[in-house]
Amino acid sequence: MRLSRRRFLIASGASATLALWPRTAAWGAPGGADPRLLVVLLRGGLDGLHVLPPLDDPDAARLRAALLPDAPLALDGSFGLHPALGFAHTLYQRGDLLPVVAVAPPYRERSHFDAQDCLENGTGTPGGSHTGWLNRCVGAMGGAEGLAIASVMPLSLRGPAPARTWSPPLPQAVDPRLLERLAPLYAADPELATAFEQVAAGSLDAMAGESRRARGRLPDLAGVAARFLAAAGGPRVGFVEDSGWDTHGSQARVLGRKLAELDAALEAFHDAARAVWPSTVVVVLTEFGRTVAINGTGGTDHGTGGLALLAGGPVAGGRIGGDWPGLGVRSLYEGRDLRPTGDLRGLLKGVLGRHLGVSEAALETQVFPDSRSVPRMEGLIG
Amino acid sequence: MALDRAASASNRFGLGARPGALAAPGDPRDWLLAQLRPVSPSAFAGLPDSAETLRRELAFRRERLAERRAARDPVTASADAGSEDARNEIRTRFRQTFGRELLAELAARYRHAVRTEQDFLERLVQFWSNHFAVSIDKRQAALYAAPMEREAIRPHVLGRFGDLLLAVESHPGMLRYLDNARSIGEGSWLARVGSRRMRPESGPTRKLGLNENLAREILELHTLGVDGGYDQADVLELARALTGWGTAGRRELRAGGPLAPFAFRSAAHEPGARRLLGRRYPEGGVEQARAMLSDLARHPATARHLAFKLARHFVADQPPPALVDRLARTWLDGDGDLPAVYAVLVRSDEAWSASARKFKTPNDFVLSAARGLGIDLGARPEALVGLFRRLGQPPFLPRSPAGFADTAADWSGADALGKRVQLAQALAARAPAAHRQPLATARAMLGRGLDTDLGAALRRAESPEQGLALLLASPSFQWRT
Repeated sequence: MRLSRRRFLIASGASATLALWPRTAAWGAPGGADPRLLVVLLRGGLDGLHVLPPLDDPDAARLRAALLPDAPLALDGSFGLHPALGFAHTLYQRGDLLPVVAVAPPYRERSHFDAQDCLENGTGTPGGSHTGWLNRCVGAMGGAEGLAIASVMPLSLRGPAPARTWSPPLPQAVDPRLLERLAPLYAADPELATAFEQVAAGSLDAMAGESRRARGRLPDLAGVAARFLAAAGGPRVGFVEDSGWDTHGSQARVLGRKLAELDAALEAFHDAARAVWPSTVVVVLTEFGRTVAINGTGGTDHGTGGLALLAGGPVAGGRIGGDWPGLGVRSLYEGRDLRPTGDLRGLLKGVLGRHLGVSEAALETQVFPDSRSVPRMEGLIG
Repeated sequence: MALDRAASASNRFGLGARPGALAAPGDPRDWLLAQLRPVSPSAFAGLPDSAETLRRELAFRRERLAERRAARDPVTASADAGSEDARNEIRTRFRQTFGRELLAELAARYRHAVRTEQDFLERLVQFWSNHFAVSIDKRQAALYAAPMEREAIRPHVLGRFGDLLLAVESHPGMLRYLDNARSIGEGSWLARVGSRRMRPESGPTRKLGLNENLAREILELHTLGVDGGYDQADVLELARALTGWGTAGRRELRAGGPLAPFAFRSAAHEPGARRLLGRRYPEGGVEQARAMLSDLARHPATARHLAFKLARHFVADQPPPALVDRLARTWLDGDGDLPAVYAVLVRSDEAWSASARKFKTPNDFVLSAARGLGIDLGARPEALVGLFRRLGQPPFLPRSPAGFADTAADWSGADALGKRVQLAQALAARAPAAHRQPLATARAMLGRGLDTDLGAALRRAESPEQGLALLLASPSFQWRT
């Protein structure tokens, strides 16, 4: 057999690689659909107030004058959307985007490191688990597989359930003759044979298509994730991440750039996953919010209540989700942060339960252990 | 010593054979154990110690604070933009100064790993460094992760585990990474006075209280293991005993003396006797947690946990239980004397059996290739960091305090394997002329790991370069056998 990857790519496209993926069993998805989930983790603590300025909150103008974006895009009248999020706005108008305000993981301190640890391990304490909630979710789905578009497996997807990583290959093009000569050697190694077949067939790269040249920026990675999730036999749970959302200074400038990237990522994902958009939910998460007050360097410091964005066909969007506590002095958490009114685990339970069909029992004991007291957020899907 | 036994010794216990290094005569086990002697300190000469770094970091912070004050003062701050520029300049300077130092640390570390003839010792250093994982992702710990390996691990890797444990848990790297430096006993003087003082104006931004992080990881990861028989009450008791264990502040550093970066703050220490694993520890300041660590180091659960980890690291993902038992017994008999444990490991038949094999981590893959082909990895540390990042094992960047994973399943996925093939090609192209003989290089590197199929493939290679790429990308090179 000739194992020229280049030829393989041209001749077969993604469909011929499906035999290399483990057979995906059906899990108890509502309506018998083949649901997909993409988790986008924005590391650094996104300022939700900047993304979704609360226009009719009387305290916003007083506390946030310098960081209220010019010409916010209109949403429901009470909130506006940052003007860099033009595509997200289109999704909102179509009913495919649901911003959920004032949510946070149960962690209440202000360390990025610990907050990300909690958000990813799915418990209330740093070090609370060495596996990730998304991996345990994949395990609860049975027959599913997770894929992180990252070189290091993120904690979110770490654990015993099937999950792998994909990242843009190194720049060196592999000589097909090298793969050809390696093939018989690997075929004789039972532990590595399957993985090498995938390398030689370029199965992951084939699914990634043109995005093989992706440079690691969020829009590229989101596009790659879409190709994988859209492939018929591919993974059903995807993960991408981005850093640089910690805005202690010059926040307006930094977020103008970062939010445009996030918007481009949503668009890239949507366009590449168009065929499966009706059965796909994208969850955009961050570890905590930021202070309401602006600091001395045109930025904000680590706060508590944050923002989550849900996008996708099944999302009950076109409205604002969550319970807005207000920015009045008495409403703020510890006198400085947006008070979280929703637990992110409750939001995720709502998505995983309604969209992926993960059972309530599995959600409470396995995916988010000890979360019985955290109510599942309803009305997010469908 | 038969070449294949020597190659096996070097692959299994070391970082891979260097050209010509296997000619040494004698028993491979003796050859390995003879490597267990201190390394000349010159390998890491010129790198600053943690006390020095701590002092410079404090000076840097003071400077920044002054800048911030100036910016707030309407008289001295002529323009807001000016002060922001000043701050940016300081930030850039911080990155430049300390970032350069991290690269210098890495250059020294990799250069040493490629050149050393004591690569078994180096493997042990890297094993313990990963066991006591600290990530530079946590900004407060970033400057001390690599120094911790030099200052706490290297000097104790041939000593008693109890001393190693104490050195690590009192190093700024670990104290900051797992938050103990800001843990304050709820009944301590500082908590009582501080909470009264802080409440009125500075607001609730700083909460004074206990942080369990270090205590939990000491029990779960560093000593007993997750099934080691401790409970939440033990975590709390160890955390309380550890309150006050922190890094030296301005005053301690200014006071002169030996300038140990460790400082015990009795004002933050939770007073009183504690009970850990059923045993009572009277109040004794810094000595209280010291005594606890000393007992934890010689606990049977710790012996078992570490015996398993060592056997898994050097022998097989699922190590033979009889070997783990013998290692644990040696640990307890020798009161945690590490060389005695290493000797049992090296002299065991299990370690040399045909079924014992380990998949190389990305780190070990790159190091063994560089050693075998005589490639200098220290020349461009920034490129090396980027490379290891793409291979999924960036230096001092584990994703959790559990460190990097240590089984084949974690590293042998298609994405990882594909990158190894690519890298094999790139490294083969960089091989110096002297090592461009694939078959001879393969014999020197693999010994009995060079099977007939690989030998035949190397003979048929179209060019020396393709042959070397084939060697490095082959399954035989991915495994330690």
